[in-house]
Amino acid sequence: MIDILLMILTGIGVALFGFVLQTSIAGVNRKVVARVQKRYGPKWYQEFLDIFKLLSKRSVTHGWIFDFGVIMALGGIIGTAMFMPLTSSFMAFDGYDNFFIFVYLIAVGMLGMAMSASGSGNPLASIGVMRALTTMLAYEVPFMIVVLTIIKITGTSSLSEIGLFQQVAGNSWFFIALPIGGIVAVMALMGMLGKKPFETYIAPAEIASGPMVEYGGKQLGMLFIMHEITVFIEVSLFVHLFLGGAENIVLFIVKYFVVYTALNIISSVYGRFKIDQVVLFFYKWPLIMAITQAFIAIYLGWVI
Amino acid sequence: MLSTKFSPMSKEEVDRKWWEIGDFFRRNSLWMLMYCTGCCAIELPPAMTSAYDMERLGMGPMATPRQADVLLVTGYLSLKTLRRLIYTYEQMSEPKYIVGFGSCTINGGIYHDSHAVINQLNKYIPVDVFVAGCMPNTEAVMNGFVDLMDLIKNKKANGWKDYHERYEWYLANQKAALGEVRVHDEFHE
Amino acid sequence: MTNSMSNTEFVTNLVESKFKVLSTEVLDKYQVSFEVKKEDVHSLLSLLKTSGWIQLSYLSAVDWPNDNEFELVYIVFNWDKAVHIQIRCRLDRETASMNSILPIFPGCKYYEREAHEFFGIKFPGNPDHEKQLILEEWDDIPPLRKDFDPRAYSDRKFSKMEYKNDFVNKNGEVSKQDARTKRYDDIDKLRTGGKK
Repeated sequence: MIDILLMILTGIGVALFGFVLQTSIAGVNRKVVARVQKRYGPKWYQEFLDIFKLLSKRSVTHGWIFDFGVIMALGGIIGTAMFMPLTSSFMAFDGYDNFFIFVYLIAVGMLGMAMSASGSGNPLASIGVMRALTTMLAYEVPFMIVVLTIIKITGTSSLSEIGLFQQVAGNSWFFIALPIGGIVAVMALMGMLGKKPFETYIAPAEIASGPMVEYGGKQLGMLFIMHEITVFIEVSLFVHLFLGGAENIVLFIVKYFVVYTALNIISSVYGRFKIDQVVLFFYKWPLIMAITQAFIAIYLGWVI
Repeated sequence: MLSTKFSPMSKEEVDRKWWEIGDFFRRNSLWMLMYCTGCCAIELPPAMTSAYDMERLGMGPMATPRQADVLLVTGYLSLKTLRRLIYTYEQMSEPKYIVGFGSCTINGGIYHDSHAVINQLNKYIPVDVFVAGCMPNTEAVMNGFVDLMDLIKNKKANGWKDYHERYEWYLANQKAALGEVRVHDEFHE
Repeated sequence: MTNSMSNTEFVTNLVESKFKVLSTEVLDKYQVSFEVKKEDVHSLLSLLKTSGWIQLSYLSAVDWPNDNEFELVYIVFNWDKAVHIQIRCRLDRETASMNSILPIFPGCKYYEREAHEFFGIKFPGNPDHEKQLILEEWDDIPPLRKDFDPRAYSDRKFSKMEYKNDFVNKNGEVSKQDARTKRYDDIDKLRTGGKK
């Protein structure tokens, strides 16, 4: 009994750590992007100020589906983050860090957000949700092919075991061992995070920030927290699957920071695709590359 | 000698403390809704981009009224626009602030004798800061934003409370100028 | 390819051969203006549309209070020949009414609504011409008529900023600048012993 309580507390601690880490790194990244654009940039803790300001504001509601969806989204995402291993040996629920757990649980949060956005009754929110689901459909297919290739090679779907497999094999990360698949994963990750070329479902100038169009005050603050934890989950997945996990927490933070900053720098020089361009793009080159990589790695056995 | 015993604060005092903490966050993270009605809007691109970079003050553009904290009214307002502006202002979540740009929002400016343009914006909705000039230059615009932050810090940016307290007065002024505040057009039927 | 001068001549010949034109004005080599009778406007516009002037660029009115008339101006535009054609016609100011050109140029719908709103001209044939477009809930005579006083309307309708007379009129006093200049001149005179 005490064990389970302790595990749950550790899990909440992991989620909180993820929130603080991602929010700080997002603040630093706003400064990085500002320097790319020859600006000075905000303070590094600006993201914290934004979130706490939103929580301090008054807000209106558009019915209980609207409020309940926000809580469901935040709760679902915190529940998902509780299972995330930080290093290859430290995790809240030992043995439950299966890749598919994340795939399924992250959908709870996303569905909560979609439900709440539709509950607001704004047509732009519905368009945004529809675009988000379409983008998801596009990037999931090549990403899943690459991840299944990794699972076939390692023979396990546990994140920490995959990380350990790469460390035991002499630090041959899958990002290097499966170079084509690594590139596909970077592109899919940009789609997951909604970074610039695939920013279609946010599109502030086009559909007024999509699903978030009717949120203000406390609900928007909770959605921001949810977004930060979602980014934490997705980038951590990439670190564990492709960059050899992490032996200790410092290495994890360094790898995390490098991945997120690189994505932001790539994203800061791009414009935005249209939604049909996103789908066509993901179904063309990343899909071909992913299938090629799977064929090379599984049937020919060419893994560096 | 000061007592080290814990003395419980009254409810008003606790509320005041929380409000001061909230004010710190609110003044350091002002999200703007730009209602670009007139020519003063051209001062915003240099204020936002690398020349003056308002993001270092924590300010940034937002897409919808619900998300925004401060409404920028940049220039003259015709009667048709004023109706929509009142709709927009009432959609924003509180606490909310308004910055009026240019002499058009102060006394009508060069449109003071036009049949279509209102003269004093703060008769219809509560304006916290005016930036004078026709057009104000970008330094003045940035100075206006810093002034707004000081007002929030000194608890003087109370336009939104004033709108609650004297709503009858504002509504009477709106009705005198507009006839009826509700929008009746082909898209609202 | 024909040059532009022959374009205007082509237009003038085309119109003057078939209609009774009150006055023709070739403004420059890209613009021609015809004044016709009110009854001829529709057939003239149909003719021009079949001859290539397929786009209605603008429709507006001019107020002539001394003649007690409105002048309607239709501007049509051709994408092949670089000539704008203005068709003008005069209407009586008291009972201003003109049949809509909606069957010829459907794009005239909003221009006619605007003209009705700003001048009070009626356009029978356009079902929407009395709907409000730009001025919502207008409560005075149409504002672009010359006998409308926008300043009086603004003073009556919108509250003005009140200024206090807290300045001092210094006209007639010697300005500080002049006094200073005179003092410096005196000093210079003393220094040079009164010589220039």
